[in-house]
Parts: sequence; C-alpha cells; structure tokens
Amino acid sequence: MSEITINSYVILSTILFVIGALGVLLRRNAIIVFMSIEMMLNAANLLFVAFSRHLGNLDGQVLVFFVITVAAAEVAVGLALIVAIFRTKKSIDIDTLNLMKG
Amino acid sequence: MESNQFNVILTLLVFFPLIGALLILFLKQMGHESDELVKRVATAVSAIALGIAVIVLFMFDKNIPGLQLVDKGDWIPLWGISYYLGVDGLSILMLLLTGFISLLAIISSWKTITEQVPQYYAFMLLLQAGMTGVFLAQDLFLFYVFWEFTLIPMYFLIGIWGGQQRVYASIKFFLYTMAGSLLMLLGILYIGTTADTFSLTALIAGREAFADVQNWLFLGFAIAFAIKVPVFPFHSWLPDAHTQAPTAGSIVLAGVLLKMGTYGFLRFNIPLFPQAAIKYAPMIAVLAIIGIIYGAIVSFAQTDMKKLVAYSSISHLGFVMLGIFSLNEAGIEGAILQGVNHGLSTGALFFAVGLIYERRHTREMKEFGGIWRAMPLYSVLTLIVVLSSMGLPGLNGFVGEFTILLGSMGSPVLGPVFTAFATTGVILAAVYLLWMFQRVFMGPLDNPKNMILEKISKRELFIMLAFLIFIFWIGIAPSGYFGLMDSTVASLVQSIGLP
Amino acid sequence: MNAFGLAPLLLIFPVIGVLFNGLVGRKFVEADREIGEKWTGWFGTIMAFSAFAVAVSLFFSLQANGHHAEVVHLFDWINIPSAGFHVPWAMRIDTLSVTMMLVVTGVGSLIHIYAIGYMHGDKDFSRFFAYLNLFLFFMLILVSGSSYLMLFVGWEGVGLCSFLLIGFWFSFVDKNGVWKNANAARKAFVVNRIGDFGIVLAVILTFWAFGSLEFDVVFETALEMFKSKEPLLLFGQEVAFGSVVTAITALFLLGATGKSAQIPLYVWLPDAMAGPTPVSALIHAATMVTSGIYLIVRSNTLFEMARLSVGSELLFGVISTPDLVALVGASTALLAGLIAFTQFDIKGVLAYSTVSQLGFMIAAVGMGAYVAGMFHLMMHAFFKALLFMSAGSVIHGMEHGHHHLHDHDDDDFDPQDMRTMGGLRNRMNITSVVYIIGALALAGIVPLAGFWSKDEILAHASANDGGIFTAVYVMLVIAAISTAFYMGRQLKMVFFGEPRHAAAAHAEESSNLMTYPLIALAALAIVGGLANLPHFAAEHGAEAGGFSYLALEHWLEHSLHAFELTEEHVLHMPHTPIQIQWSVAIISTILAVGSISLAFFVIYKDTSKANSAPDPLQKTPIWWTSVLPLNTLYMDYFIPAFNRMAKWVAISLDWVFWHDFVHNRLVRDMFVTFAAFTSSVLDQKGVDGIVNGVASTTRRLSGFLRQTESGYVRSYALSIFMGAVLLVIYFMFATAG
Repeated sequence: MSEITINSYVILSTILFVIGALGVLLRRNAIIVFMSIEMMLNAANLLFVAFSRHLGNLDGQVLVFFVITVAAAEVAVGLALIVAIFRTKKSIDIDTLNLMKG
Repeated sequence: MESNQFNVILTLLVFFPLIGALLILFLKQMGHESDELVKRVATAVSAIALGIAVIVLFMFDKNIPGLQLVDKGDWIPLWGISYYLGVDGLSILMLLLTGFISLLAIISSWKTITEQVPQYYAFMLLLQAGMTGVFLAQDLFLFYVFWEFTLIPMYFLIGIWGGQQRVYASIKFFLYTMAGSLLMLLGILYIGTTADTFSLTALIAGREAFADVQNWLFLGFAIAFAIKVPVFPFHSWLPDAHTQAPTAGSIVLAGVLLKMGTYGFLRFNIPLFPQAAIKYAPMIAVLAIIGIIYGAIVSFAQTDMKKLVAYSSISHLGFVMLGIFSLNEAGIEGAILQGVNHGLSTGALFFAVGLIYERRHTREMKEFGGIWRAMPLYSVLTLIVVLSSMGLPGLNGFVGEFTILLGSMGSPVLGPVFTAFATTGVILAAVYLLWMFQRVFMGPLDNPKNMILEKISKRELFIMLAFLIFIFWIGIAPSGYFGLMDSTVASLVQSIGLP
Repeated sequence: MNAFGLAPLLLIFPVIGVLFNGLVGRKFVEADREIGEKWTGWFGTIMAFSAFAVAVSLFFSLQANGHHAEVVHLFDWINIPSAGFHVPWAMRIDTLSVTMMLVVTGVGSLIHIYAIGYMHGDKDFSRFFAYLNLFLFFMLILVSGSSYLMLFVGWEGVGLCSFLLIGFWFSFVDKNGVWKNANAARKAFVVNRIGDFGIVLAVILTFWAFGSLEFDVVFETALEMFKSKEPLLLFGQEVAFGSVVTAITALFLLGATGKSAQIPLYVWLPDAMAGPTPVSALIHAATMVTSGIYLIVRSNTLFEMARLSVGSELLFGVISTPDLVALVGASTALLAGLIAFTQFDIKGVLAYSTVSQLGFMIAAVGMGAYVAGMFHLMMHAFFKALLFMSAGSVIHGMEHGHHHLHDHDDDDFDPQDMRTMGGLRNRMNITSVVYIIGALALAGIVPLAGFWSKDEILAHASANDGGIFTAVYVMLVIAAISTAFYMGRQLKMVFFGEPRHAAAAHAEESSNLMTYPLIALAALAIVGGLANLPHFAAEHGAEAGGFSYLALEHWLEHSLHAFELTEEHVLHMPHTPIQIQWSVAIISTILAVGSISLAFFVIYKDTSKANSAPDPLQKTPIWWTSVLPLNTLYMDYFIPAFNRMAKWVAISLDWVFWHDFVHNRLVRDMFVTFAAFTSSVLDQKGVDGIVNGVASTTRRLSGFLRQTESGYVRSYALSIFMGAVLLVIYFMFATAG
C-alpha cells in the first residue's frame, strides 16, 4: 500500500477540475454547466485543505469557508437566473442565450 | 485698509426691490394669480423704495464732500473685493431719479401690459434694484456686477414685451453693451490685481500706481460708458431699443439707464485717471458736440414720434457729456442736473408718445394732426414737456443746458468755440421738437380716427403731473439741487488738479 | 412811503389771470357763452389793469425817492457756490424798466379790452386771454429782471407766447392746403431762436468776463476794467477789453435782430400777422418786438464802451458794434419801408411798417440816441397799436359786410385785401378817423406823436458828422418819405373813393368795446409828443412856463449811466441836440406832406373809382423787393437745403449706412458669414472630419472584431479558460525565469 502523499490530492483535484471545466465548456444544459462550476470550486477547495494540512497552516481552511459561502450565494443567484431564463425561453439550453452576439 | 462700517439703509435701498421681485414670483407659486394683486404689490414695493431713497436724502449731509451712509464689509478678502455701498453728491440725485422714474414707469404700465404680468413687474423691480446698486457701489467689482445685472431685466423687457422687431433690438442692446463692458472688465481686473484692492476710495488714493497706463485704462472705461450714454458714434443700438421697448421700458431706459454711462464717467474715469481725462477732454467734447448736432438733425428727419424722441436723447446726452468734460464746477454740476432733467423731460415725452400710441396703435406723425382739438389737456401738458426738452427758461431743461454751456466756455480744457457750436443745439432743438409738435398737435383735425380719441385718464394725468412738478421745480428753484452736489463736485474738480 | 414792496404783484396779477383763464375759463365759456366771455375776458383785463396800477405806483415811488433804482429780491434761482455763479429772481425798478412797464401794461390793458370785442364768439375765447396774460407776465419779467439771465427768461417767454398766439388758430388751412398759422408760429420761434443763440453766448461771455450777470455789477466791473485799460485774463489768455465788449455787444445785436425783426432775421414778422389782430397790435407792434431796443438801451454803457474800440478790437477789424447797430437799423428801416409799398394786405403794410419803424429805433440806439429810441418806442407803441387795432376793426367790418351778401358766394374773398376795400370812411366813422390819426402820426405830421419822436432821431443823425451818421441820416430820411407814401396809399385805398367790392359797401362799424380803446390810443397818438418835447429856443431852462421839456430824457437819464459818464469824460456819447433842429424838422415835414400828397392825389388818384386797375405800382417793376430777398432765400433755398441735408443724414448716413450697412451688414453679417464658414468648412470638414474619421476607423475595426463574438456562453467560457491557462503559463515561466 503506497503512502498517500500530497501528490495524490493534487492529482485528484486536477482531475476534478478538468472534468468541471470540460463540463462547462461542452455541455449545453444550464443545470449541468452549473454543477460543473460547483465541481471546479470544490476541486479548488480540496487543494486548499490538502495544502493546509501539508503546510501545517490554517489559512487554507479559512479560505475554504469563504469559497463555500460564495458558492452557496452563487447557487442561490444562479438557480434563480436559470428559473427566470426557463420562464422566458421555455428552455435551459444555454446556446439559445446568444443575445450578446456582436 | 479701511475699517468695516455698517449702515444698513443703503443695502435696504438696493435689496428691497429685489425682495419685492421675489415676492411677486412667489405669489404665483402660492396660487395668487390675480394680475391686480401683482400690480399693487409691485407699485407698493417701488413706492416704498422711493420712500427709502427720500429717507436717504434726509439723512444726507450736503456739506460733506465724501461718501456717506457707508455700508462696507469683506466679500472676497483674498482678492481685495468688498461689499461697499456709499452715497455722495454725485449719486444722491441719481438715486432719487431712479426711484421716481421706476415708480412712474410701473404705474404707467398698469393698463398696457396684459401678458405674463408677474414676470414683467418682477423684471421692473429687478431693474430698479440693479440701477440703484450701480449708483451706490463703491467697489469696482461690485459695480461691475450691478452694471451687468441691469442688462438682464432690460433684455427681457424689450425681448418679451417689445414691438415687432423686439428680438433683434434686445439682442443688439445686449451685445452692444456687453462688448463695451468687457473692455471695462479688463480695466477693472488690471487695476484690481495691481493695486490688490477693488475699493474705489483706496484706488483713488493710490491712483499714482497705475498712472503710467492710465490712457489705456481710461479708454477701456470710456468705451463702456460711451456706449451706454450713448456718445456718437456708438448710438446705433439706441433707436432700435427705444422703438421696440414697451413704453415703460423706454422711460426707464432714457430716464435712468443712459445716466449710468454719464455717471460712470464722473465716478470712475475722472477721479481715477485725471491726466487722461484732461488729455482726452477736447476729443470727447468734440464727439459730444457732434452728437448734439447730429442727434438733432437726425431727429428732425424722423417720421416716427418715438424714434424722434430717441434721437433727441443723443442730442441731450451730448450736452451732459460736454458738461462733464468741461472739468469745472459749473459744467459738471450742470451735467448732473441735466441728467436728471433729461430723465424727467424725455421720460415724460416717451410717456406722452406711449399714451397716444395706446389709443391709435401708430406713432407715424402723418397719421395725426389737430390732436389739440381732440385732447386739449393732454396737448397742453405735452407742450410744456416739449418746451422743457428744448430748454425754455423757467423750465428745467434751460437750467441744465445753460449751466453746461457756462461751464464749457469757462472750462480750462475747452473754450468759447466749443460753446458756440454746442449752442447751435439750442436752435436745432426748437426746430425738431416744434416740427413734431406742429405735425401732431396743430393743424386741422381731419383724420376721423383722431376725432374719437379717449381723453386723458386720471392715472395718466397723475403721471404727467408728477413729471411736471419737477420740471417746474427744477426750472424755477434749482438751488437746492445744486446745493446737494456742490461740495462733492468741488472736491472732485480740485482733485483733477487743473489750474 | 414807497410802493416798491408791491413790485412782485406786477408779476402775480398776470399769473392769476393765466391760472383762472387756463384752468376754469373754458368751463365758464362753455356753460354760457355771453356771461362766460364777460367773466373770462374782463378777468384777464382787470389783471392787466391791476398790473398797470402797480406800474403807476412804482412810477410815483421812483419820483418820490429821487429816481434811485431799487432791486426787489424775490428768491434764489440758480446758485452754484463752488463756481461762484449766483442769479436770483429779482426785479430791478428804475426809470427805464418802469417806462417799459407802463407801456406794456398800459397799451396791453387797452388791447385786452379791445380783444373782448374782437374775439367775441371764438370757441377758444378763454385760451386767448390766458395767452395774453401769460404774455404780459413774461414781458414784465423781461423788462423788470435785474440780471441778463432774467431778461433772457422773459425774452424766451415772450417768444413762446408769440408762438402760441400766432398759432392761435392752428387748425386753419389755406386754400393751398398749407397750415399757414402753424407754420408762421413755428417760423417765428425758430428764427427768434437764432437770435437767442447770440444772447446765450453773450450772457455766458458776460459772466466769465465780469463775474456776474446782475446789471449793476456788470456795468460797474466793466467800467473799472475800461478805466484801467489793462487786458483781461479770459479763458487762459490775455484779451483786450475792447474785443470782449465788442464781442458781447455784437452777440446782443444778433439777439436784437431776431426779436426786433431786423435784417437779416426780420423774415418772421410779416408771417406773424397770421395771428389774431390784437396779438399783432400787442406783441408784434407795441411791446415784444421792442425788447431788442430795450436790451440795447439797458446795456448802454457796454455799447458806449464798444464805440470806443479801435483797431483790431473792432468787429471784423472795420466797424464798431454801435455803428453796425445803427447801419443795420437804418438799412432795415429803408428796406422794409420800400417793401411796404408793394403790399395789398392791410396788415401786411403795417407789418413791414413795423419792421421799418423798429429799424428807426435800432438806428437811434446805435447812434447813441437812447432817449430818442425809447421815445420813438413809446410813441410807436401808441400809434402802431392804434393802426393795427383799427385795421382789425376794418377787417371785422369787411367780414360783417361779406356776411350780409348771401348771393355773393365767392370763397376767395379776403377781408384783409385792400383791393376789395374803398370808401370805408362812410361806413365806419370812428375807425376811419382814428386810423387817419394813427397814419398821420406814423407819417410824422406835425404835431402828432410820431413827428416828435422821429424828428428827434433824424436831428440826432444830422447833428453828428462823420462816421456812419451821414449815411444813416440819408437812409432814414428816405425811409421816412416812404413811410408817408405807403400810409397815404393805404388811407386812399381803404377809406376813400368808392367801394370796390360789395362787402366794402356793406361794412359795419365795430362794437364799442373795440372802438373805445381806439379812441384812447388815438388821444395818446395826438398828445404823446409832450412826453419829450424839445426846447424851441436856446435860452429855455429845463422847465419853462410850467412845462417840462425833454421830460423823458430827464427821467431816463437816471438809468442811462452813459450820460453821466460822458459828462465825466470817461465815455464819449455822440452829441444829442436838446433844441429843436428847425432845418431837419421843416425838411422832414415838407417831405412827409409831399409824399402823402403824391400817393393820395397823384399816383393813386384813379384808385378811388370802383373796379379800377388794382394798383398802378403793379405796372412798374418794383425792383427793390428783390434787392435783399431774404425771405425767398430762407424759404426757397435754406430750408429745403436743410430738409434735404437732414433727410440725407438721417436716412442715408445714420440709418442706411451706419445702422444697416455698418452694423447689420458689416458687423452682423460678417459675423454670421464667419460663423457659417466656421460651421461649414472648419467645423464640418475640419473638426468634424477628424472626429468622423476616428469613428469610421473604429467601426471598421470593430466590424472585424465583432466576428469573434458568437454570443454563446461556452465560447466566452472558453476564452476565459484560455486566458486563465495563458496566465498560468506566464506565471510559470515568469517565476521560473
């Protein structure tokens, strides 16, 4: 059984982040895009905690709380937006939201 | 620096009409839209302001040559600008004239002004406040503020309640005067910044400081004042402004506003730049004499009564300018008194012309003739005013003109030749005024429209009589009037330093 | 006991009359014609008589106090302490002013009575009396003022009254559509103003030269300066005293030529006859027009000093002012006398005659015969007022006659045209008798008033040799001959022979109100000469046989300092004979009688017949009217030229050039053009071009860039991601580096 080192956390967090990023970039369902963003945030959280433990310093853990708070707020606002979009567009496909096209 | 003094009466005199104007505008806000009320309030305010001026007259001590009843305080101490009001022999008569003419002008418009009544009376009162300020300000900066302030109400009075070409006339009036004032502003700023004060008394005491550039400064001030007077050839705005202005506007314009120009020469040009005044006196006197003769000749050829009276102002103000630049006691005192006389006579003439214009809606002289038969009382009163304007002894115009001519002949800078040319104006005045009087009042009453003219009303009679009282008073017993200014003028002449 | 304290009443009475008639008189007349006229007319007349009474009491007061001049101070007028200028309202009561007052109020009162009859039925009856009283007021100021400035007040005031009274019937339009009365009124005022120009300058010059305008002070100061013979310091330079005095007196002369209708300003007086006849009698014959003579007599010391000027001090270097005065007077007397020949208007003859007689007076005072001038002034006031008012009576009678003729509806009838008269002696008894008395007095027939006064002037002219005296004498004698001639002609044409018009045949005598004053004046015209009868023998003293000879001279001497100064050998007045000059008297009488006879029995012999040729003189060219055609010159050349000049100045120079061209074209339009150029060229092409260029470039660039914007959320996310990756790479290399 090999030792669980800091490298393992970094690799896991990277995998999670890439999955999240790909989800944001490739998927068209707004809910899924949203969940992918959450995944990226949590990948960052994992890394914060891991390094906090590794360096014996509590700063990382404090930051994680902030991130979770922001994420919670973001969920609230984001879901509200999605509901509003659905009401007007009868769809949550983000490709229909191209009003910003130049 | 002089110490601050507080004597609130002059401040009250300036700001009372201003408060009245605001009150009139608020009346509307408060829902009192009755024009009658506005007229009454305006008349009352103006009458009280005249009353304050009379109180000032009683508080005034004619034996003191300097400023009296001074109200002085710092305004912008950093630049040496102060709030500085005071009255002396040069301005006391002008104050009374302002109050008197403004009141009569307001009463004269009771019937004629029917549109935007509150604004009209507000502007009249603002004008009164501004003019009073001009005659009282003893700080160059404050003076300039008041000077420009008078432009605005007059601009609107002509521009809103005027005749057919009122916009043209009002803009011309505004721009012309502004253009002159800017030169004066430059002068004021130069003086103020070099001497570090704008207080007139301090500047006169230290006038040697800018003696080397006084010719330029003199010209800057002189052009501003000359346009206001107006001295030939800066007169082109006057006939337009007069013919387009409403009657009351013309009365105030001729009665008081033009005097601001002549007053400016006396108050600023002569005491601040005496050497330049001596140097330019013959030149200005020549312009004044050209104005006397030119104004008279141009008057003679007019067909519009109001324009005729307007041009006659140029001739009369020529006499005033001649008197001022005689630079001696008789000339200057005659000039001040003639300023008052012109205000009374020409004001009354404008009122008389307005009176008949109201009835016939024309001022073309060929439309009239034989008015004496239709309106005898009005005609006799107008005849007296006409005679006063042409300088019949026993009436006011003669006293002023004679004293001016007396001064100009004995003047150390002018002389008999100037007087001789100016005296031809006396002949010409008879020519153009009698010609007008004949065409309008004499001859057969053959135009049916003139046969049904309404007789002069009580209000109109009151205004004419008010003018006439002073026309006779100054004509018969002017000593009191000369007494008011004598000591101030004597010290002014002494300060010029001529032999 | 003296009455000097009453002097202000002299002015107050006429003022009361003016106020009464001016303010309420009209209401009286409108309420009831008959009673109203009586009230207003008599009120004005009583005021005039009251003033006369005051003048008489002043006369006796002066007699009582030994003829000492008295100055009655009323109140301050112009007072400028710092300039040392002080003129009060004050009355100077001396023998000269009282003489004038008596003439003015005395003749004036008679004319007032006459006017009640003459103006009967006029719709402006009360206005007329208000004017007459106003005239008296100003005339009394003129003669009683104690300073030159007060004299000038009266001087201008009577000019105003003259204007008002000539223009009394201002609505009148003649058949050519000309406003005759209004024009004449204005002409009188304006021409007089030209004279006033001289007075104003003279008064001002007097003040600066002598430091006062009070008669006393002026004459005393002038005398001291004259005696010291030192030049004056005036206006910063030294001026010879003679030059100053010459200038002042010459300017006074200009004033006198205006008011007293002398060459070159006499042109207004004949036109002034358009006024009502009482006005012609009072103002334009008896009183106002003599104020020029009064002015010169009042300034006698100044004129006598000017007489002694020499060399460059003279006027134009050739003539002294008194000499010029005498020449102006004499030539006016001659010219106007000749022009009077040619008139057909009954008042026109009298008008030119007045000009001519004023010329006599002016000539007299110019020659230093001040008393003779005043004497003639008084006598002239009597007989010329008489003539004018009788002429008015004739005109009235003719109008009456014309009214009777209902069948004769000729609108051209002129009641003043002598060619329509004739034989009036039979219809108008009193008028014709008094007229003949007046005419003979004017012609200088012994022993009527005019003989004595005119003879004194001629005697004075003949008694002095050299200088201008001979020329003046000759001119005056010819003028006297012509006077007799035109009066003879007029008498013949008006009163003798047969009526030449039906109106004349039906003329009626005027009412008593008009004829009684005429009788009074006729009496004065007969006995007036007694006022200054000359001595008939050398040995007579001042009084002989209880009668005082030369009474007027002894009376006036107290006011004429030149007499006293001549006795002291300070001044040298020309010699005046105190004894009658038999040669002069006989020659002038023969010439006058001959001249009247010539007119009466020879030249106008045929005029007596009805429907005869109107005037023999019309057949011969009357060359002298074109010798000095001043009126034509003024009316046809000067006034139109002035009108054209004024129109050109007002319309072309001031309006079209200065107002429209310079201000509207040059200044305003140039500004507008400049503004248009700035906005179209500079702004649109320049500033706007730059701004627009930037904008279009930006647009092109952005058109290219916009293609990158798909609007898909994912593509934005991708770019953010790419950005993040790039940042990471950068930091990796940066930290590594």
